[in-house]
Amino acid sequence: MSNLFTLWRRELAAYFLSPIAYLVLLSFLVLNAVSFLLMVNFMDGRTTDASVMQSFFNTFFYWVAMLFVVPVITMKLFAEEKRMGTLETLMTAPVSDASVVQSKFLGAMTFFAIMWLPTVAYAWILNYFAKDATPIDWGPVCAAYGGTLLVGLLYISLGLMASSFTHNQIVAAIVGFVLIAVIFFLGFLSRIGPTWVQAFFGYLASVEHMSDFARGQIDLRRVLFYISATVFILFVTQKIVESRKWR
Amino acid sequence: MIEVQNLTKRYAGVTAVDGVSFTVNRGEICGFLGPNGAGKSTTMKILSGFMPATSGQATVAGHDVFTESEEVRTRIGYMPENNPLYPDMRVTEYLGYRAALKGVPRAKRKARIDEVLQLCGLSDVRRRIVGQLSKGYKQRVGLADSLVHDPDLLILDEPTIGLDPNQIRQVRQLIKDLGKRHTILISTHILPEVEMTCNRVIIINKGKIVASDTPENLTKMLEGGGTVRAEIRGERAAIERGLRGLPGVKDVQIEAGNDDFLRATIYAPPRSDVRVHVFEVAAANRWTLRELSRVRQTLEDVFAFITMKEAPVKEEEGK
Repeated sequence: MSNLFTLWRRELAAYFLSPIAYLVLLSFLVLNAVSFLLMVNFMDGRTTDASVMQSFFNTFFYWVAMLFVVPVITMKLFAEEKRMGTLETLMTAPVSDASVVQSKFLGAMTFFAIMWLPTVAYAWILNYFAKDATPIDWGPVCAAYGGTLLVGLLYISLGLMASSFTHNQIVAAIVGFVLIAVIFFLGFLSRIGPTWVQAFFGYLASVEHMSDFARGQIDLRRVLFYISATVFILFVTQKIVESRKWR
Repeated sequence: MIEVQNLTKRYAGVTAVDGVSFTVNRGEICGFLGPNGAGKSTTMKILSGFMPATSGQATVAGHDVFTESEEVRTRIGYMPENNPLYPDMRVTEYLGYRAALKGVPRAKRKARIDEVLQLCGLSDVRRRIVGQLSKGYKQRVGLADSLVHDPDLLILDEPTIGLDPNQIRQVRQLIKDLGKRHTILISTHILPEVEMTCNRVIIINKGKIVASDTPENLTKMLEGGGTVRAEIRGERAAIERGLRGLPGVKDVQIEAGNDDFLRATIYAPPRSDVRVHVFEVAAANRWTLRELSRVRQTLEDVFAFITMKEAPVKEEEGK
């Protein structure tokens, strides 16, 4: 357990020791700020069926950020250690493969959460400056952040798995992006075809899930899906890391 | 300390380590010697628990490296080939992280890190970023890392590779000093290194152990070789004829020296001494004799003798 903490701290610190982290944070914030501004401008003086904060979690920008930023966060996790050879020093320390996988996942997850943190200010800004026009309903806002973290769990575990395949960060990013994109676009199959197809792919439909969460509707099935899928992918990743032992 | 029995490792079709057995006793500095690709690194990776062997058994301090891997890893300080480090951390940060990972209790961590910084001569660069250090310092950071949890056994894979001669000397001295407290298994393909630091040598070639003894005994194997060097002034043809005529001499090579003396290398069978005959023939012919000495065989000759001997045979097998 203390190992996990030590490893997690190193993973998190590694983000802030590299310039890529700041670049990611900056571009992410710029993207979201543009999204927020456009939305506020558009909704100013109009009657819409969704609030600003509700729409914020399901814009084009939101999904661009999720699909493109996550692979960039996760690409280095295993690939860099493999390339530098530090995986060998890491794995010959008295740590288990499982705790290495978990700490890398938790480190990326923490960075992901930190990335979203400044956007809480948008809700506060709205609440402060436009109290009369759009009062903030904090419940759905919290649910939306919870939903973002849940989707983040799944996407980051996919990115982590992609990183464990290779020692090339670019390859890790591309494979990660493809895996995430496949899951994302399969979700759209929930809108076409026979009922059972729709029902099945409904479980993958992140866009639908996020719009539910942003309305404040927390469906336990969704929560369980994201958590169990993540656990499964982390398990597979651990097996991939262990595969050096039986290859 | 280390016991290895019939260790074999096969990668996709290639046998990197082939039925290797050896033991390293507590307190020994054991040199693992072999040409590139002989299986040194693979054996070390197996011992350090990075990957398991295909078959065979290995124990460190009585613990099996496959089934009690974590137990073994707490007792080993392993420095892989090329000494991988996190370049973005400061020296003390890195050692602090590694110490925590290897289970050095929080209360003792700072004192222990100060100790290894001192020991490895890193005190001056403790606040520097690892990636910006010179290669010699990086190597010492790697050593400090392998030492930080005060392991019983150090496994160092080519610790002096890529260093300049001064740094090599420093690192060797450091290893020698460490040998007083730790058991060390060190791999290298640099022979003087083994002669200077180790009290036992295991020579491995093509995945098999071909010799295992003290450096002295190994050199003695060839030392009996009665090769003699002499510097003589006189007529070249006459000297060559005279030396070749001596009893027991198999071959003579003569080359011109810097002055009017000729340098002669006289080859004679092992455990013979032709020096007396050389002196007598020189005296009889009134040649001036300036130097007459036996050629001391180095480990290098032993190594070449042992590893080359097998090479051509293997090649023919391939055809």
